[in-house]
Amino acid sequence: MAENPSGSSVSGLGRVKTWVATPGLRVRLGIRAVLVFAVVLFVWYVATAPRFFSVTNVTNVGARTAPGIIVAVAQTMVIISAGIDLSVGAILAFSGSLTSVAYCYWGVPVWPAMLLGLAAGAFLGFINGLIITKGRIPDFIATLGMMGTARGVALILTRGLPVPSHLTAVTLKAYLPEEIIWMGSGDILGFPAGALIGLLVVVAGWVILKHTGFGRAVFAVGGNREAARVSGINVDRTKVMVYTLSGLLSAIAGLVLVGRMNSANALMADPANLESISAVVIGGTNLFGGEGGVIGSLVGALIMGILGNVLNLHNMQDFAQRVVMGLLIIGVVLFDQLRRRYSA
Amino acid sequence: MSSSLILRAEAIDKSYPGVHALDHVDFDLYEGEVHVLLGENGAGKSTFMKILSGSLPKDSGRISLRDQEVEIASPMHARQLGIGMVYQELSVIPSLSVAENIFLGRLPKRKPFGTVDWSEATSQAKRILDDLDVDIDPGERVGNLGVGEQQLTEIAKALSMKAQILLFDEPSSALSDEERERLFSIMKGLQEKGVAIIYVSHRLAEVPRVGQRVTVLRDGAKIDTLPVDQADEATLIRMMVGRELGEQFPKEEVERGKELLRVKGLTVKGVLNDLSLSLHEGEILGISGLLGAGRTDFARALFGIDPIDSGEVFLDGRKVEISSPSEAIELGLGYLTEDRKDGLVPRLPIPANITLASLKKMCQLGFLQHDEERMSAKKYVEELNIHTPRLSQRIEFLSGGNQQKVALAKWLCSQAKILIFDEPTRGIDVGAKVEVFRLMNDLAKEGVGMIMISSEMPEVLAMADRILVMADGSFVAEYAAGQVSQEDLMRDAVAR
Repeated sequence: MAENPSGSSVSGLGRVKTWVATPGLRVRLGIRAVLVFAVVLFVWYVATAPRFFSVTNVTNVGARTAPGIIVAVAQTMVIISAGIDLSVGAILAFSGSLTSVAYCYWGVPVWPAMLLGLAAGAFLGFINGLIITKGRIPDFIATLGMMGTARGVALILTRGLPVPSHLTAVTLKAYLPEEIIWMGSGDILGFPAGALIGLLVVVAGWVILKHTGFGRAVFAVGGNREAARVSGINVDRTKVMVYTLSGLLSAIAGLVLVGRMNSANALMADPANLESISAVVIGGTNLFGGEGGVIGSLVGALIMGILGNVLNLHNMQDFAQRVVMGLLIIGVVLFDQLRRRYSA
Repeated sequence: MSSSLILRAEAIDKSYPGVHALDHVDFDLYEGEVHVLLGENGAGKSTFMKILSGSLPKDSGRISLRDQEVEIASPMHARQLGIGMVYQELSVIPSLSVAENIFLGRLPKRKPFGTVDWSEATSQAKRILDDLDVDIDPGERVGNLGVGEQQLTEIAKALSMKAQILLFDEPSSALSDEERERLFSIMKGLQEKGVAIIYVSHRLAEVPRVGQRVTVLRDGAKIDTLPVDQADEATLIRMMVGRELGEQFPKEEVERGKELLRVKGLTVKGVLNDLSLSLHEGEILGISGLLGAGRTDFARALFGIDPIDSGEVFLDGRKVEISSPSEAIELGLGYLTEDRKDGLVPRLPIPANITLASLKKMCQLGFLQHDEERMSAKKYVEELNIHTPRLSQRIEFLSGGNQQKVALAKWLCSQAKILIFDEPTRGIDVGAKVEVFRLMNDLAKEGVGMIMISSEMPEVLAMADRILVMADGSFVAEYAAGQVSQEDLMRDAVAR
């Protein structure tokens, strides 16, 4: 990237002259200054947070952000294909609830129960894809409908109660099996298992997007649907696969979350939709499709996770935290826009 | 030139990273004049127009309007100064009416609540359209109009802002012959009212028809300004490319081989009637006709994009069903779309676009072979002489001619045996055109069969071995090369 069109060999004085003469350069330097300031502020805020660097806190942050990271990977793929998935949170809750209900109420053994949850999540994603491609319904509407439906089914399955809970504990299994709990709360040599799963998902997402024919098709469909079609790419199949994958990843995130909370409930992960979209946007993926990647989304999810944690450590009131998070999204995207405009 | 100077640009300079887009360009424009701006893609025409219309800042230089130096700060400011722009890509809003488009953002208001005064808007729009001497209903949805009429709506919009200078960026590239004629007569009318026009075009033949003077840019520098009567085509081409181009249509005779494709009775109800043709190895089959005759519909139907109602397709004598582009590609067909934007993914880099139609070949067990992809892309970039600062450049930053070459490379990469070219030279400059024609020759020698759909009759006449004329969804005439004139083709095209 040639960021300095006037060339780097220009003398110091010459550079100052160019700087004064070109508003573009001035804005660009301004942006850089603000970014440096923001990073310094962030680091300072993190560093001064009481107990931030304690082992418990770091592992805690890792485990806490894991479901968000996984869902952000799902959302990244969907958004690159020029879609949007508003049902990730609902599918997450549905799959987690289904696994728990199957294990606790229906007596299904743990592995089949987990498989059932994952398969069901992927299936709902698949249905999303079918509705969008075959029914020709906009992505926004189809997944909005799925959001309500999946939450509703989850509520019916759990009867609106946490599963397992003390109300049901008397006659049925009172605890989730340790396999599931391990996913959310366990560790490998001190490294939280949930975070490890999240990282694996990020790597898988990166490989899929950058190193497979399918991934290329996702970019092509999102970048120019018509060109993809004329070039022999099966647009419908690509979209159905993207949504199926999104459903599957949401279900994985569901298991991790259930494992961390030691129980499932139909209303969990309510803000997951918007948080995942925020992470994707902060990570620099183009909301109109065809451009972006999972690494950016990982960074986006981590920034939000760490900031949330640090605000807690600094004892910021929850209501005020929402304001900070909202402003963060606007600020990041605004800076990104300015940067793009003046680097063109 | 007795009329007064309206615009003078002196030593306009503009650089991008790595490119000197405009190198101290001087330009002037008189009242009531049409000044044609010519140049190959990347010569700096668009940059110059963008600076005049306020959408790009210049690095240095002076612009004066009626001897008064101005600093054009934004498109809005340009409009206030009386400079109106008619873009190559139309910027009308299809879902709004003609009147709404003309007065977009400036609809006349009614007191006291500031509600829109629709009757006033309609009557003002009507007046402007009448002034242009065109018959368009101000209440019509712009989306229902043809391209030519949409363009007139844009011109009306510019005039409604009291434009004294109109900038036309390749206005005729999407127009039919008839619409083009009308545009020229409207330009003549505007000239008589004292409006000055800068007209950017690729069509050399238009120069003496529309303009009084012509300025040629090459590689960002002004070569010369000439009165049109001193600027014949050969001179202009020499100025544009900086060398003798040789022949404009370098057609080479190629022995035609066995039959590749036979189409029998292809029909799409209400669009295409009972179309039959055959195509041989090494043959270029031209399809001529007016806009809307169904040529693109035929290409789309043959390529499996749009469904057909009846008809049979044979490849190498074997009957095949083509119901999707992926099947067509599998069978060795390629389709260079009429609008190259329909064939390219702008935000993806060059290699990804070149291999888009051969993704399967680039993959092993579903995994992309990046090295292989880069290597084939590199090969085609060199072979087709695609100008780019680097291989991984995104398509959106390439010039039109280079984009078209990438679109072509895509089908070379897929090793298509049958290529459908739909307006292969639209919006690309003479130099790139000749390169495309040379490539067609090379393909013919390799035994590729080509269907060449084109509205440029001279190029069909020069390049095709056989020509089919299409009108109203039917093939109405067939000619062998050299046995037909432009007049014959025109007569057949309008016969119905």
